[in-house]
Amino acid sequence: MNKRKLKSTVIPSSIMIGPVVLWLAFFIVIPLLYVFIMSFCSIDEYYNVVFKFTFTNYKGLLNSNYLYVYAQSLVIAFITTAACILLAYPFSFLIARTKSKKKTLLYMLVIIPFWTNSLIRIYGWRTFLGTNGWLNNLLQATHITNHAIEFLYNKGTTIFGMVYCLFPFMVLPLYTAIEKLDGSLLEASSDLGGRKAQTFIHVVLPLTASGIFSGSIMVFIPTLGYFFVSNILGGGNSDVIGNLIQRQFQSGNNWPLGAALSIVLIIITLLLVKLYQKCGGDIENLGV
Amino acid sequence: MKNIIIKTLLLISILAAGTMLTGCGTKAESASNGELNIYIWTEYVPDSVIEAFEEEYGITVNASTFSTNEDMLAKVKSESEGAFDIVQPSDYMVTQMYEQGMLEKLDKDALTNLGNIGSQYLDQAYDPGNVYSVPYQGGVAAIAVNTSKITSDITSYADLFNSDMANTMVVLDDYRAVIGMTARSLGYSMNETDAAKLTEIKDRLLTLKDNIKLFDSDSPKSALISGDCTAAFCWSAEIALAMEENPDIKIVFPTEGAYKFMDNWCIPKGAKNYDNAMKFINYMLTSEAAQLVMAEFPYLNPNTVAVAAMGSDYSDNEAKNPPQEVMNAGEYLVSLDNDTLAVYEEMWTELKQ
Amino acid sequence: MKQKMKKNSYGVVGKIYCSLIYAFLFLPIVVIVVNSFNATTSKPYLSWKGFTFDWYLKLFENEELLQSFQNTMIIAVCTTIMATIVGTLAAVGMYKYKFRGKSTIDALLYIPVVIPEIVLGISLLTLFAKISIPRGMFSLILAHTTFSIPYVIFNIRARLSRYDNSIEEASMDLGANRLKTFFNITLPVLAPGIAGGALLAFTLSIDDVIVSYFTNGQTMTLPLKVMESIKSGVSPDVNALSVLILIGTALLVVLTQSGILKGKKNM
Repeated sequence: MNKRKLKSTVIPSSIMIGPVVLWLAFFIVIPLLYVFIMSFCSIDEYYNVVFKFTFTNYKGLLNSNYLYVYAQSLVIAFITTAACILLAYPFSFLIARTKSKKKTLLYMLVIIPFWTNSLIRIYGWRTFLGTNGWLNNLLQATHITNHAIEFLYNKGTTIFGMVYCLFPFMVLPLYTAIEKLDGSLLEASSDLGGRKAQTFIHVVLPLTASGIFSGSIMVFIPTLGYFFVSNILGGGNSDVIGNLIQRQFQSGNNWPLGAALSIVLIIITLLLVKLYQKCGGDIENLGV
Repeated sequence: MKNIIIKTLLLISILAAGTMLTGCGTKAESASNGELNIYIWTEYVPDSVIEAFEEEYGITVNASTFSTNEDMLAKVKSESEGAFDIVQPSDYMVTQMYEQGMLEKLDKDALTNLGNIGSQYLDQAYDPGNVYSVPYQGGVAAIAVNTSKITSDITSYADLFNSDMANTMVVLDDYRAVIGMTARSLGYSMNETDAAKLTEIKDRLLTLKDNIKLFDSDSPKSALISGDCTAAFCWSAEIALAMEENPDIKIVFPTEGAYKFMDNWCIPKGAKNYDNAMKFINYMLTSEAAQLVMAEFPYLNPNTVAVAAMGSDYSDNEAKNPPQEVMNAGEYLVSLDNDTLAVYEEMWTELKQ
Repeated sequence: MKQKMKKNSYGVVGKIYCSLIYAFLFLPIVVIVVNSFNATTSKPYLSWKGFTFDWYLKLFENEELLQSFQNTMIIAVCTTIMATIVGTLAAVGMYKYKFRGKSTIDALLYIPVVIPEIVLGISLLTLFAKISIPRGMFSLILAHTTFSIPYVIFNIRARLSRYDNSIEEASMDLGANRLKTFFNITLPVLAPGIAGGALLAFTLSIDDVIVSYFTNGQTMTLPLKVMESIKSGVSPDVNALSVLILIGTALLVVLTQSGILKGKKNM
């Protein structure tokens, strides 16, 4: 009997589950545990990691400079997310409720730009927004301004770049949620005398809230780590948490401090996901 | 149904096969005499010179680039030993690396072209007797001013802190360079360790924040040429190149004495292709190679034979070949202890937030 | 009448709004296309020096660029194959069998999806450095496979939720063994989910910047090559290659999409 069970479930299930378990253990669990351990390690005079327990790295994080960058990074992420919602909601609504045959095309057009490497597209913005860039040339040629406007290299451009990079991640869940809306429900509401605004607040918004929530998570969290956007468009003037981590693993060469910064970032991420689930978000909506 | 998977995979594999073919076609010719993995500064060693070396010696060169000495050090440490055959540290970094046992001694017998290097560039304090390093190029971190946009008279590092320079500058994305420059503007050493002076330097550094528009170590000339920035604190040769594109740009050597540097060829511990690395270094010491280098990246070149061959257009150009008195007034960086570097790192983070 | 006019004006505003959003999304692409025809040869390649097709030919002489593209494709293909195999087995296994620790696996699968990529990048870097896995093609494939597996699993899982177990039982009743059933029944039914997952893994791999940045050693992928060229100004041949890739991907996706749509009808 036991042998039969072995043959019928244990062997096939371990063949199927085994690889993924090993993979996750080796490339997710062990590395993250190692980063956690490293965040309590010290460095020697040549910045080599020494396995000597210390709280120095976490104490170092309480430094006002790091706290400032954390706060700034959260603010940037918040503004980016809010901007994405405001821009993407009406847009997704319009393309998802289109009745024409072009609907698939309209949807695909959101994704197509993202088949080109994201760095080169951000660099495209830099060309466009530069002091002698396309936009300034256009504005001066049409005499809208006399001097070049300095668009580049500040927090505003960093946020702009983040919105650009992450916009589709807001559109896709919103699109899915809005598409699922039952048209007859909207009609019913307006038939019952609900005004447009009321229908929107009491019917549409609650039904599409899941899209807003999962879109927000998918925009907010990457924003904290996208160091290349603030490097290319922010000119190094508007660091996010990702920049701090990158610097410690590169020029700073203080891996334990970088590890501690990463652990804090992981904790922030987990808190956000918890908050998302509290709000009724389904974790399965993330990612796909 | 199965054919969907097949179709997808087929398309992907056709695409992949196509690229591999184009790739193989171009790469197959050389590679008979082995490989060489070099790790060099961005915008510093021309592709043409590397290609000429590959052709002459039949050695395939794989080059990757770094932006600061500290980046390079971190990468070499994190890689397994033998990942790189050649690295290109600056003066103080040579010391730091050989003190940590990270460098191989150079085989002097293989350096038949060392005679091309002027004696004033050899046997320096950062590597007495050139046991581990041979100089490649150097210069100073000077000031560039676009005179059509900036009318005030800039003569010193201290002038860069003036409030009329607001939001104009591109500066090196390198904390030792920018903090060192700030120290010199106050009359201190670039290698200051005294706590009280460091506090003063920090306060001064933060006043620079409003003047900096962009941090860029790799190609600060780009922002000068494109007009995004109208002043710069950057490598002398970057300014020389920007001056060629825009005659309004002028180079200023600071009256305080500039941050000077000399970059070197070194072989990291455990290099897999030591002999090829020696061939490469010796090749770079030839007058021909040095001339090709100067034509593209006009730094102060210690290859005095090659500089003479470039003629007076080169040797009289202050930006390309900084005058001897500028070099004499300059200061090299030296490696500092962890605690001091932590203070530097902290003020840098505050500047960049 | 009035109502209709109002509706129309809504429509017009909507159309303008959507056009502006599309302009926002496509503007950088326009910059890339225009710059790929720029005849300038001096860095940073910003000023317009006339129209030329040369870069589309010169790009085939740029060995390093082609090499990085080739690396990207090799890594993407290997990643796709590995992630698809591991992911398919896991998705089916987790659907069919109950076992202890299932929810742990589930939670772990969400980690690469949810945490910022930089954390995955540095954690793999520290691991590879610790156990001396040489950084290069191999480490990149391992890293890319790691973040691709969850997406493959989720894609197939979405398909499995509509899967009818009874076909499989019927097949076994008819005397087919387990392996045969898996290949002849389970796999074909899941095909669209698998294909979708594979395509996603492929796309994620070819565009990855951050994880590759920390785990590449000296192996250059195309996105890293672009990152490096941004340092001194993106040259027109890089733009030209990007344009070609965009066209190539568009064709690829149109072909596979039409295949999948057709497949759906047959089912």
